[in-house]
Amino acid sequence: MVVSTALAIEPHRHSAALPSSVRWPSRLRSTLGVLPALLVVGVALWETCATHVDASSVPADEAWDRASQLVRAQFRPGDLIVFAPDWIDPVGRLHLGDLMTIDDAARMDAARYGRIWELSIRGAHAADTAGLPTTSTVDAEGVTVKLFQRTPVTVLADIRALLSGASTDGGPAKLELAEVGFAPHRCIQATPAPGHPIRVTFPSLPLGGSLVGYVGLADVFTRRDIRAPGSLEVDIAHRKVAIVHPGVDDGWVRFEIKTQPGSADVTFIASADAAQRQICFAAEARQ
Amino acid sequence: MKLRVKQRALGWALAAIAFACTMCNQRSVGIARDETVYMSAGAHYADWWLRLATSGVGIDGKTITSTFGGAPGGASNSEHPPLMKTADGLSHWLLADKLGVVDELTAFRVPTALAHAALVVMVYTMTLELWGLAEAVLAVLCLLLLPRALFHAGLAAFDAPIMTMWFATIYAYWRCLDRTASPSGDAAGPGRARGAAGRKWPWQVGVAFGLALATKHNAVLLPVALGAHYSVLAVRHYGWRPLLAAPLGLFAYRGRVVLSLVLLGPLVLVVLWPWLWLDPIGHVADWLSFHFKHVHYNYEYLGENWNAPRFPWHVALVTTLFTVPVVTLVAAALGAGVWIAAGWRRATLDRLPTLLLGLSAAASIGPFFLGSTPIFGAEKHWMPALPTICIAAGVGAVWAARRASQFAIARWHVSEPLARITALGVVSIAIVVAAGTETLASRPYALSWYNAAAGGVPGGADLGMNRQFWGVAARGVLPFIATQPPGPVYSHDASPAWGWYKKLGLLPAGYPDSGNEVAGIERSKLALVIHELHFNRHDYLIWKSYGTVQPAFVLRFDGVPIVSVYERPK
Repeated sequence: MVVSTALAIEPHRHSAALPSSVRWPSRLRSTLGVLPALLVVGVALWETCATHVDASSVPADEAWDRASQLVRAQFRPGDLIVFAPDWIDPVGRLHLGDLMTIDDAARMDAARYGRIWELSIRGAHAADTAGLPTTSTVDAEGVTVKLFQRTPVTVLADIRALLSGASTDGGPAKLELAEVGFAPHRCIQATPAPGHPIRVTFPSLPLGGSLVGYVGLADVFTRRDIRAPGSLEVDIAHRKVAIVHPGVDDGWVRFEIKTQPGSADVTFIASADAAQRQICFAAEARQ
Repeated sequence: MKLRVKQRALGWALAAIAFACTMCNQRSVGIARDETVYMSAGAHYADWWLRLATSGVGIDGKTITSTFGGAPGGASNSEHPPLMKTADGLSHWLLADKLGVVDELTAFRVPTALAHAALVVMVYTMTLELWGLAEAVLAVLCLLLLPRALFHAGLAAFDAPIMTMWFATIYAYWRCLDRTASPSGDAAGPGRARGAAGRKWPWQVGVAFGLALATKHNAVLLPVALGAHYSVLAVRHYGWRPLLAAPLGLFAYRGRVVLSLVLLGPLVLVVLWPWLWLDPIGHVADWLSFHFKHVHYNYEYLGENWNAPRFPWHVALVTTLFTVPVVTLVAAALGAGVWIAAGWRRATLDRLPTLLLGLSAAASIGPFFLGSTPIFGAEKHWMPALPTICIAAGVGAVWAARRASQFAIARWHVSEPLARITALGVVSIAIVVAAGTETLASRPYALSWYNAAAGGVPGGADLGMNRQFWGVAARGVLPFIATQPPGPVYSHDASPAWGWYKKLGLLPAGYPDSGNEVAGIERSKLALVIHELHFNRHDYLIWKSYGTVQPAFVLRFDGVPIVSVYERPK
């Protein structure tokens, strides 16, 4: 108790003579007392520096010019160009958009592309290149240019290209460039009335080992206002082989059906229980 | 000069600085979509009041309805109360039309900047009275250096003003609880031992509440904070048992404060809103039901587009953590700790101001944890929570500095004044430099800005945080458009502001707005897309019409695309 009183009056002057069991808590308390201020000052220093670093962490146009030169030097017609992360896409298109067609940008998926150029920043990767082997990688002042090569799928039939020869029943179906899941997709769009399906039949569609397709609901505003899912049924030779129910938050939903090589009538049946379901779909018969 | 006068003068000087900073900052800020509606309505409101004042014309149902009324969502903007719009309109009339001292847009924005300056005075005064000069100055500096709040304070809108009016109500309520009207509020001592009369005429709180109601509908949440605080005080004063036996005893605690809120508040709202003169209850119901059924605009949060409930419970929390400077948050956390520790030690002041400030913040931000309240405006919807954060930051920073000074005195035997001044100086400068750096970095596209914890603007984009709203960033592409051959422009979300940009001389003649959606794009030679996730569809509409995916110009903020401009191929 006497020691405590001495501490309270002159906490450090006599600390050397104190038993260690008393001295350490006192010193510790004293040292801990400065930590809040150190924390504030430390965070402030970090924040000041980090703000400057963050502001210049995205490569500028010079880097993109350099990266685009690298791509242009080896670009071949039919190559796909993708950017990562998604938010840098407008800058990528600014520099290389002349090499990209609308159909490339609004592709069903990337399986039919044998060569894919990925231009990325900040360590991001495009979903289209996941799992693919890299042929070359060059860092252009912060923009990483990668070329991926693989054997593309062989497409026997693309229903979007054959729409003019298809028969429709129950309502119109047209080729559209639509927003589905906040991404562009060239697709066949049908908007069935509730309880009245729209059937799109492709007669004698060449088939290989699989029919790969995607479906989703177009238009963010109708997705917001009407929350019910849509439905897409696939019939091959009058037999139901698949049914998908894309919901408002599902985006571009993939489906794959194993098929027997040959040809058959293939029907896509879009239906919905709610109005204004803009059902957007695409499919390819693959070898 | 007496100390008290000097301290007051400092408060007014800080307010003047706040006003000047806000007016300077807004000069480079584009025109928000909603501002155009408020400015138009405000000009009509002001004209009505001026005609009424000068010739007594206008007090008839038809004129009032055409000026202030109509269905919510219409041209008269009856879905929002009129106080700030009227002030904006009167400011425009005086400063632009009559005196010609500023341009039209600036004139419309002056009242919001003045409201922000008023908030500075009130935050300073309350903090000064409760904690001290250092805390008050730091609280105000933290408030001034809030990038998003500074942005909103420069717009002819309601989000910064409701922060002011909300805090004015909190502050006035706190003052009006005082029985003796002493500055500290504790002359009455522990409530149990003293009388409970309160101020004789606590009109200030009712008027402040009425002004808040007349500013924005957030004000209807104020009674939640005030009611909870009042109940705690009453229970402290009378004890549980008497109140359970006679609940009306609650009213007796500071009955005049309650009367002021209940009577004067609505009265002020009605006086200021002529539309309510025609059918007070019906039109109040129209006003509030519009917001209870408000459409959910699209809002990007952590990589997802949200436009329908249920929203994540943590939107308000995470958004606040990413849109207030980190150093301010850290200091506020320390301050909150100090308040909580003081509460546990039963060392709080008689009127429980920290509880009041906490309840104020909770009432403001609380509804956004429910998962059903619209989140599209992000932090602007719960801005009344910010003064509490800033006051806590002031308290926490000074507490930290004092603890550090004690360490220095004990360890190095320096004099107490030197230690205190040095520690306070270092901590204060650190906070101001860090928060100031963030604020400067946020200009002029503060809605796209995120703090260092998020990784700045690029980090916000990586995290999938909302890029922007209101089309403000379109101003940044006007210089590029001016270099292009004249022709119709699809101005996208900037369409309501397009005429303003021409009027202000920011856009040369020859670039008319081509109209909306597909028809507008088809007519255009140039087309804008203001980047938000749900606006991607506009890119695709333009690709389809222009036959290319390549923009001619991409406006970036710290490297992150915020507006693209397409040029129709020849």
